[in-house]
Amino acid sequence: MAAADWQDRYYDIDQILDTPGPRTDPAFLAGDGVKDFLRNQAKILVIGAGGLGCEILANLALTGFKDIHVIDMDTIDISNLNRQFLFRQKDVGQPKATVAAEFIMKRVPGCKVTPYFGKIQDKDDDYYMQFNLVICGLDSVEARRWMSATLVNLVDPENPESLKPLIDGGTEGFKGQARVILPTITSCYECSLDMLNKQTVFPICTIANTPRLPEHCIEWASVLEWPRVHGDKPKDTDDPEHIGWLYTVAAARAKEFNIEGVTWALTQGVVKNIIPAIASTNAIIAASCCNEAFKIATSSAAYLNNYFMLIGTDGVYSYTFEHEKRDDCPVCGGEALDLSISAELTVEEFIDLLIERQDIQIKKPSLSTPTAQIYFQSPPQLEEATRPNLKKKVKELVPQDGEVTVTSTSLPFSLSLRISYT
Amino acid sequence: MATSEAMDMTAAEVAPDSKTRRYDRQLRLWAASGQSALENSRLLVISASATSTSVLKNLVLPGIGHFTILDPATVTPRDAGNNFFLEGQSSIGKSRAEEAVRLLAELNEGVEGKADTSSLEQILDNNPGYFASFTLVIAHNLESKLLERLSTLLWADDTLPILVAVNSAGFLGEFHIQFHEHTIVDSHSETAPSLRIDKAFPALADYAASLDFKNMDPTDHTHVPYVIILVRALADWKATHDGKSPQTTAEKKQFKEGVLAMKIKIDEENFDEAEAQAYRCWTETRVPSEITALFQDPQLSNLSPTSPPFFHLLDALRKFTLQPPHTLPLTSTLPDMKANTASYIHLQKLYKTRAEEEKATFKSVLAVPIDDATVDTFVKNAHGLKVLRGKRYGSLNTNPAALASAVASSPKATAIHLAISALAAVSSPQPTVEALTAAAQALLPPGSELPEEFSDAVGEVFVLIILTCLSARSPNADLPNSAAFLGGLVAQEVIKMITKQYVPIDGYCVVDLVETWTGMV
Repeated sequence: MAAADWQDRYYDIDQILDTPGPRTDPAFLAGDGVKDFLRNQAKILVIGAGGLGCEILANLALTGFKDIHVIDMDTIDISNLNRQFLFRQKDVGQPKATVAAEFIMKRVPGCKVTPYFGKIQDKDDDYYMQFNLVICGLDSVEARRWMSATLVNLVDPENPESLKPLIDGGTEGFKGQARVILPTITSCYECSLDMLNKQTVFPICTIANTPRLPEHCIEWASVLEWPRVHGDKPKDTDDPEHIGWLYTVAAARAKEFNIEGVTWALTQGVVKNIIPAIASTNAIIAASCCNEAFKIATSSAAYLNNYFMLIGTDGVYSYTFEHEKRDDCPVCGGEALDLSISAELTVEEFIDLLIERQDIQIKKPSLSTPTAQIYFQSPPQLEEATRPNLKKKVKELVPQDGEVTVTSTSLPFSLSLRISYT
Repeated sequence: MATSEAMDMTAAEVAPDSKTRRYDRQLRLWAASGQSALENSRLLVISASATSTSVLKNLVLPGIGHFTILDPATVTPRDAGNNFFLEGQSSIGKSRAEEAVRLLAELNEGVEGKADTSSLEQILDNNPGYFASFTLVIAHNLESKLLERLSTLLWADDTLPILVAVNSAGFLGEFHIQFHEHTIVDSHSETAPSLRIDKAFPALADYAASLDFKNMDPTDHTHVPYVIILVRALADWKATHDGKSPQTTAEKKQFKEGVLAMKIKIDEENFDEAEAQAYRCWTETRVPSEITALFQDPQLSNLSPTSPPFFHLLDALRKFTLQPPHTLPLTSTLPDMKANTASYIHLQKLYKTRAEEEKATFKSVLAVPIDDATVDTFVKNAHGLKVLRGKRYGSLNTNPAALASAVASSPKATAIHLAISALAAVSSPQPTVEALTAAAQALLPPGSELPEEFSDAVGEVFVLIILTCLSARSPNADLPNSAAFLGGLVAQEVIKMITKQYVPIDGYCVVDLVETWTGMV
C-alpha cells in the first residue's frame, strides 16, 4: 500500500475489483493484481483540461489512477468558471493544464498529474507510446482527428502494446456523446466525420450585398471590414476591445439596413463560434469516458461498444450503438474513396468540393497524383509553380479511375481518392 | 460608410459585466429569465455522499441561490476516498456536511451554502415545517422508511418543495422527480411555428397579389422571398381549382412545376427554395394536437383570479383559437431565405405587424391583467407549451399492474428499477439473491396472473442477472464515476425544473454503466 493510501480509501471501488459481476469478462483477475495495475502501473493521458478535462481529471484521480498526464494549450478565461470547477477567479490568465494538475494533486493525495501547456502536435510517437490509454475532452474537430489518426498510425500488429484505446467525449448544451475507439479494430474518429452537424456558412455575396440577419452584419464586420480597416493586424476574438469594435461596426451596418438583433453576446457568439456549455452535461459525458477507462484498465466489467449519445433537452434520451468502421476511411480503412465528379470540374472547384464534403472536410488541401503534383498550398515556391493548374480541368490532369492523394498540414494522414467522371 | 458613426457609440456601454461573462455559456441556453429563476432557488440536499456533492457541484457552478446540506454524519476513511468535495485524510472525523459545504461554496461566491448536522428523522418528528422554505429537495440513497415519510410529507401539499429521490448501487442507478404540476412556456421546442402560407393573412396575401412577376425588374425577380412566391402561386392555383389547394400527388407535382416555371433565369435560387418548401401549401396550419389537448386541462374549467397566470394565458389561447383562422397566434420569427435586404425586411415587417395585431386580439380575451413581457414570451412559444402532472414517489411500486406493463414495454430498464427497489425493501445489510428476488417478485402481480413472457423476461433473465450483480458486489458502492454520471443527469433535470425551460423526465430515469445506457420506466 502506498503511503497516501489510508485504510478503506478505495472501499467502494474495491467492491468491484474484488469480485467479478455477471457481465464481467472471464479473463478478469479479481484482487490485488488488478489493483496494483490500476494504482501503480497504469499511465493515462488526458487531452484537454477544459470543461470535460476538469471532470475527467477529478474522476480518474478518485478512481485510483495515479499517473495522469494532461495536455492543454489554453489559458483560463472568466467564461470557463461556470463549469471548469478546478479553476477560480484568481487563476484567470494561467495555463489550464498546470492549474488543473496542481488542484488535483492537492485534493487527491498521492495522485501525480503531469501537465503540458502546449499542443498535442508538439509531441511525437514515442511520447504517445508511453500511455496505456488516452481520453479526449476537446471542443476541436481538428485536434480530435489528429489524435485519432495518430493513434491509428501508432498501431504495430507485431506489438500489442502499441494499441492504445482512445476514449472521446464531446458536449453541446444539454447534449453530448462518449465513445470508445480501439484504433484499427473499431470505427475511428475519421469514420464518423459525416455525423457532425454541418456548420452554418454564410455565402460571401450575402454578407457583402444582401444582409438579412444580424449574423450577416457581424460576419461583414469580421470577415470584410476588419481586414480592410486593420490590414494585417490579427483579430483576437478573446480581446474585448476587438469584439467591441466588431460589435459597433456590425450594429451600424444593421441600423443602415433596418436589421434588428445585433447584440454584444451574438457578436461574440458568431465570431468565436461559441458552443453553449454547462457543468452537468460535461459531468455526464466525462463520467462516462472515465467509467470506460476504468473498465478497460481493470477488465472489471464489459465496456461500451462503442458509441453513447445523450440528448437531455426533452426528458433524458440516450442511444447506445455500435458505430461501424468504414472500409474507405482514409485513416483506418485502407481503401481509396471513390469520387465521381463532372468532367468539366476545374481543380479550383474540385478543392472547394473537398472542403465542403461532409465526409472529407479538409481545410487547405494539397493534391497530387502518383506521378505529378496538381496543386500545393505550400511552400510558396511550390504553390506558385502549381497555381496555373487551378484553372485547368481535373480531367486534363487525372485519367479515368486515376488516383489523387490529398494532404493537409492540419492532418497527420493523406486521403486517397479514385476519380471517375460523369 | 457608417463606420465612423458607429464608433460614436461606445462599445463599453454594452460590453457585458463580469457576471454575464462568467455565465455566458449557460445564458445562451436559458437566458436571463432562467438564470434569475436559478438564483432565486433554495435547495436542500440530504446527505453529503459522493453522489450528492456531484449533483450540488453542477448546481453551485451555474449559480443557484442557496443550498443546505443536511447530514449528521462525520467523514469516514471511505468517504474521504470517494468524494471530491472532502479533503482526503484531513477531513476524516469532521462533519461531512460542513466539509462538503466549505469546499462546494468555493466554486461560486454568489451562492450561499449552509451545513445542517441535524438528523432527518428528528426533523420529520419535530419540525415538519422545516422543508417549506426550500424550492427543491434532493435525497440520495435515503433509507426507504425515511424516504417514504419524506415523500409523503412533501406530497401532502402542492406548495411544498419538489422531491428528487436518487438511488444508486455500483454501476446502476435511478432517480425520480416528485411534483404535482409543472408548466413550461419555453420548452425550446425544435419544431418551428407555422409561417401560415396556406392561410395567408390579408397584408401578406395582398402584397403577394400586388406583384407583377412578369414585368418585374430581373434583379428584383431573383430576390422575391419564397414565402411570397408560394402565397402567390397558391392563390393563383386556388383561383382555377375551386378554391382548393393541390390535393393529389399529380396536382402537387404540377404545382411544383408551376413554381419552377415562374423562373425567368435558370439560376434563380429563390424559386428552387419555393419548390422545396411547396409542401407548406398543402400542410394545413392548425392548432397542434398537443396544444389542443392542453385545452382539456382541469385547471381551465376551474379558473379563478388566483389561478396561476399560465392557466389564464392558456385559456386566452383557447379562446383565441376558437376564432378564425383557428390557429395559434402568429410569431414574427422568420427563417432566413434567399432574398435581398429590402424584400426580406419588408416581409419581416408584414409578419411583425400581423403578430402585434394578433397579440392584441389575444390580450383582449385575457381575463386577468398580465404583464406584457410574460404575454410576449407565452405567445412566442405557444407551439411548445407543456403541462406535466407528476406522480408520487413510490406510487409505481404499489401498482403491480403498472409495473407489469413497464416490464412488457421496457424490460431492461424495469429490471434495474426492480433490482434497486428490492434492495431498498430488504433491510438486511448483506441481502441474498433469493431475498432480493422475492422482494422484487412481491412488487409484481401474483405469479399465477402473469403472462408467460413476463416471468421469463423478468424472473429468469433480467432481474436475476442484475440481482446477482447487486448482491455479489456490495449493494451500496458509491463509485466515483457513477456518482459523477448521476450527478450530471440529476442536475440537468433540477435545472429544467427550476428554470421551467426544456422538458424534464416523466417517471424513473434508470442508468446502467456496465453497458452504458439510460432508460425510462
